Amino acid sequence: MEKQLILPGALAATTPRRMDGCYVDDGKTFVSVVSLKAGDKIIPLKGHYVPRIGDYIIGIISEERFSGYEVDINAPFPSTISARDIRETFQVGDVVSAKVRMVDEVHTAQLVEPRKLFAGRLIEIESVKVPRVIGRNGSMLALIKEYTGSDVFVGKNGRIYVKNGDIALSVMALLKISSEAHTSGLTDRIKELLEVESKKSPQNHVAPRPAVQERPPAGMY
Amino acid sequence: MAEEETAAMAPGKAPKKLIENGIRNDGRKPEDLRNLKITVGVLKKAAGSALIEWGKNRIMAGVYGPREVFPKHNMNPNKAIINCRYAMVPFSSLEEHGRFGPNRRAIEIGKVGKHVFENAILTEQFPKTMIDINIDVLQSDGGTRVAGIVAAALALVDAGIPMRDIPCGVSVGKVDGTLVADLDKTEDNLGQSDMPVIFSPRTWDILLLQMDGMLTKKEVMDGIDLARIATQRVHEMQVAALEAKYGAAAAGDDDSQDESAA
Amino acid sequence: MITNEVKEAFVLDLMKKNTRVDSRGMLDYRQISVQKEVYENCEGSAMAQIGDTKVIAGLKLDVATPFGDRPTQGVIMFNAEFSPVAHPDFTAGPPDERSIELARVVDRGIRSAECIDLDKLYMEEGKVLGVFIDLFIIDHNGNLTDAAYLASMAALRTAKMPKYEDGKLIREERTAPLPVARDVVSCTFEKVGDKILLDAREEEEVSSSGRVTLATCGDDLLCASQKSGRAGFSRAEFESMIDTALAKRKELLKYI
Repeated sequence: MEKQLILPGALAATTPRRMDGCYVDDGKTFVSVVSLKAGDKIIPLKGHYVPRIGDYIIGIISEERFSGYEVDINAPFPSTISARDIRETFQVGDVVSAKVRMVDEVHTAQLVEPRKLFAGRLIEIESVKVPRVIGRNGSMLALIKEYTGSDVFVGKNGRIYVKNGDIALSVMALLKISSEAHTSGLTDRIKELLEVESKKSPQNHVAPRPAVQERPPAGMY
Repeated sequence: MAEEETAAMAPGKAPKKLIENGIRNDGRKPEDLRNLKITVGVLKKAAGSALIEWGKNRIMAGVYGPREVFPKHNMNPNKAIINCRYAMVPFSSLEEHGRFGPNRRAIEIGKVGKHVFENAILTEQFPKTMIDINIDVLQSDGGTRVAGIVAAALALVDAGIPMRDIPCGVSVGKVDGTLVADLDKTEDNLGQSDMPVIFSPRTWDILLLQMDGMLTKKEVMDGIDLARIATQRVHEMQVAALEAKYGAAAAGDDDSQDESAA
Repeated sequence: MITNEVKEAFVLDLMKKNTRVDSRGMLDYRQISVQKEVYENCEGSAMAQIGDTKVIAGLKLDVATPFGDRPTQGVIMFNAEFSPVAHPDFTAGPPDERSIELARVVDRGIRSAECIDLDKLYMEEGKVLGVFIDLFIIDHNGNLTDAAYLASMAALRTAKMPKYEDGKLIREERTAPLPVARDVVSCTFEKVGDKILLDAREEEEVSSSGRVTLATCGDDLLCASQKSGRAGFSRAEFESMIDTALAKRKELLKYI
């Protein structure tokens, strides 16, 4: 479909509609972040992660409280795990995957089903690029897993945890998707990268420049 | 507005003619802009950034946030607070050596700049957070406050901060009795009046309007109209700068995860 | 203390009924009075009162060094101090952005209008007179800007120049009045809800989304403008505010 770059302030719809990256003024809908317009669809190219009920995210335990844990979820808002909901204990710096159970009006999220992630590598990309990393029907992720043998956990909040297999190559591919998201022929180029690099030994991978600052895995800082 | 506190002493005393036969000192017609170039995303660490090169002006804008509010008592439970810092570096002017950090003039500009962005940013989407906007003038050549705000608006877009619009504007003024757009340093210092204006190009509401020197009502209204025409051209440059950074995405195919599967 | 949120709800509700806290018209001033020569030690002084707002302007003259690029002209300087006594929000310490803005907006109008003939403040090679006007806010109940303009102009109009001898001022002997060419007054508007009103009280200011100050120095002459606050103003709104500012000028001049 024909796509068009649209900028904050541009008209998205002549009726009031609730859409990602849009706002309503005077009965019309306008774009609030740099986006692509494809027909009626608005695809934001930028944005901050705002937790929604049911999202699976990857968080970092940031504070321990009597009532539970405070978790950094790569959003401008705090989130918590209640001590009542869990049996295991965590330490500050632990990386966990969790599900968003509730979000209050100031976007504070309550997380449940925390599972500690370990022995892998954590990277961070922009949350709006997560759908590209997953690909249509999970095709992109499947491609990476096929070549690297890694387990890849993708959080809705833009954090990705890579474990087992050729971790370095998986990370390389993921960061390439992030920095070249929305360019044409991306799937082919990722396939080519995996094809070429998987034949080398892991030490010889030449990592592309990450688009977003990479965080060291938990426990390393 | 005169860029230096000292030079603002007595407007209206031009020693030489600044406009002859309808042509300004640098060859421009009254409504012409100086050369203008904006580059988006020039800094790596900042969430968003832009560099504006406008005449001899070189101004860098960088944005951080939304992030945790510091100091905490400034926090607003309903919306993000905006901090806007404008400062000229010590070596930025043709005249004497300055000092790092904002002086009184810079603090005032930071305040009115903050108000512009309080209008533009959808602050209610980020309660209990703050957004920091930094405008650093590396070289000044008149009209730095509008140039700084034009650049900061793009830095905010680059940072992905949701905005109602991209604020944009230009300085207009009266030089040798003629209304002109985009005053340079000499015209600013020696002209009779200076009026920086920032609009919201979506509604053409005026978000900032300051004025010094003496103008009649008609001159002020004509000045607003001239500023609007000139702002349209500056806005085209803003759009071009964003297209240069983000335009490639529009050409791409879409094989991302389906909405339903998300 | 009643919080700003409560004040705002109350004021916005009144606006919908097209009325104000003190049932004034939208473009009416509260009662204004200006006391001149309130202090004897300084060369000029005045206290302006708009409703319950009180602003003192003190004017001191000193021998000063001219700026390098204007060696034969006197200097003029404004400062504003928001005394902690004036409002519970004001704290002691370095000037914050509000007081800096106030001083600079008053400075802008009076400087732009060329109120003082700075050439007449030249004394001798390397020596000029400096005019230092300090705005001291002692009771903040809204519209500090217009009160500050009135107090400054009244102080300028009543100021006397001391005798100058051997590079010094003899302050006991005051001779000529300060050469003041014209009067500047300002009108400050606030956008509250969808209405624009003049001379806002403090509770109207906290409910306001935007402010415009327009200073005038002649029947059809503006000499300063300042827009602050997040609200946008349309061209038509600006035009009507300019009309009001020019129309109110005569009323304000009576007090100087």
